[in-house]
Amino acid sequence: MANDIPLSWFLYFAAAAFATGLVGVLLRRNAIAVLMAIEIMLNAANVNLVAFWRYGTPAAGSGPLPGVIIALLVITIAAAEVAVGLGLILLCYRRWRAVDVDRYDSMSG
Amino acid sequence: MGVAVVARILFLAIAALGLLAALGTVLSRNLVHAAIHLVGFFLCVAGLFVMLEAEFLAAVQVLVYVGAVAILLMFGIMLTRNTRGDDASSLSGPWRTPGLLAGLCVFAVLVFGINNAVSPAGKGLWVETTTRPALVPRDDEPAWESERRRAIDDMARVVGVEFMTRYAMAFELAGLLLTAALVGAVALAHRDEHPSASGSEDDSREETVEEPVGSAPS
Repeated sequence: MANDIPLSWFLYFAAAAFATGLVGVLLRRNAIAVLMAIEIMLNAANVNLVAFWRYGTPAAGSGPLPGVIIALLVITIAAAEVAVGLGLILLCYRRWRAVDVDRYDSMSG
Repeated sequence: MGVAVVARILFLAIAALGLLAALGTVLSRNLVHAAIHLVGFFLCVAGLFVMLEAEFLAAVQVLVYVGAVAILLMFGIMLTRNTRGDDASSLSGPWRTPGLLAGLCVFAVLVFGINNAVSPAGKGLWVETTTRPALVPRDDEPAWESERRRAIDDMARVVGVEFMTRYAMAFELAGLLLTAALVGAVALAHRDEHPSASGSEDDSREETVEEPVGSAPS
């Protein structure tokens, strides 16, 4: 495609998406909504990785597409995290009959 | 020049849609609406991957995120039916202002870093590196540029080759992590089926919801 979208535009988009995800993690009370916000943050990091891969000069010995490989690994980790997170949420739901993270306060003093 | 303007407008449209979808995911009170907004955000990110000439990654994004993660989240929403009105109070009240402030501060810090950082090559700002390496072959191009062009032209094959050679250990570790995570998720969510323990324990748990963990009946 075209050659001259500035790199910083991708970075601004990723920064805004990351901040949005952070607000979601901080403000939402529903555990599944928190999980969705974490996914938004991981996607923002992926955009950064791929943008730097495409625009930058690769380091010696890193191969032709290091950023894409790392983004694929991040996607793998996100999938694993969603599986474990949903297992934990189901466990907590069965225990407390709620998915509200404010109610999971058994360890607070 | 016309192509550049069209590409920029396309980028701005995709990015604006993606940010709106992210905001919708965070702010919508209905969880199913939030999940649908999240699917839109994933698709916009896939579009950005296409604009970065990583089409294989865009395909993986659509397959894994839209096809698997979003469906998994939908199942999670359906399995945890909100019995205590979690939907009505989606944003926790007293912490709304500090949370928004924290998000704005993080965004400001990131924008400051993007505007002021020096690129790894040490020549100028990120903002000024507006040209990415072209895909058309040149005579005097360095070796990595032609290598990358071949990789972009045939990304799926090159990703496979890289995973089998240079990143073999990372590949194996990712597979191990996925196996452990899925087995762990099944072990976590598995309901105990012992006939002696299950009935009484579940009943007592439902009655003593307010009790802390330590005081569960033994």
